Amino acid sequence: MLTIEGFKQALRHAQSEIEANKDTLTDLDRAIGDGDHGINMSRGFEAVVAVLDDDYATLGDLSKKVGMTLMSKVGGAAGPLYGSAFVKAAPKFGDATEADFNLVKEALVEAATAIKARGKSEVGQKTMVDVWDPFLNDLNESDDFDAKLDQLVGATEGMVATKGRASYFGENSRGTVDPGALSSSIVLKAIMKEVE
Amino acid sequence: MKEMAPSVPIHLASGLEDGSIGTDVTRILDAIEAVDKEALILSDIGSATMNAELAVDMYEGEKTVQFYDGPIVESAFVASVSAGNGMDVAQIVEQLKMA
Repeated sequence: MLTIEGFKQALRHAQSEIEANKDTLTDLDRAIGDGDHGINMSRGFEAVVAVLDDDYATLGDLSKKVGMTLMSKVGGAAGPLYGSAFVKAAPKFGDATEADFNLVKEALVEAATAIKARGKSEVGQKTMVDVWDPFLNDLNESDDFDAKLDQLVGATEGMVATKGRASYFGENSRGTVDPGALSSSIVLKAIMKEVE
Repeated sequence: MKEMAPSVPIHLASGLEDGSIGTDVTRILDAIEAVDKEALILSDIGSATMNAELAVDMYEGEKTVQFYDGPIVESAFVASVSAGNGMDVAQIVEQLKMA
């Protein structure tokens, strides 16, 4: 069950993993982007951790706060994308103070829908959607979440980007893992770990 | 633009609160609050565009708010002069599409 405290722990864990991978995220984004994904995610999640000291009555309240924080503090396109994800997940969590696997999955599906809408993107364009969508599709409680996420991130390497900053690189975007895909796997791994 | 259209209010909503590069959707919303009745939003680059679109979706007030996706320098120029000539947002957007 994902509890409010568990959700907070997931976010703290995500933040420290993002910090640990900040240079990698930056390097990937420098190769097929504008080089700010590491800095942006670091800043955004640092701001998220700062709001975790407050009390939240429900998972919905916490998710919405996380979303609004990411929206303002990340700085790049990832702000509206991750921000909308957590804001859209909030009503699905609603008044619940804990969520079982199915509810978490439903909330994350709302999040993925928000990302696709905000980014006007779909699977196959070499974006974070190429992790969120296939990960949630057919996801079972008994799956190895980390392995599935790693596989999806790796799969972005051979793709050509047709959306976002990487799309400006055309064929040259092939051969580099998508930075948004990597950061997504970090966030999702952290959340799924707390559901177990 | 201030010289070309001195009467037109132009609000900058770029950068983050601490001055660093990027876009903060709440700063865009604050700028919308600061205008009188109508706001035309222009952006320079992809991530700013996404933030602007988000701001338009999030805005829940009575003002007419529109985002136009065009080259920022030319669009800002045309928009300022058109606004200075008394056009409303709808008319300005038509001008921009022709520019």
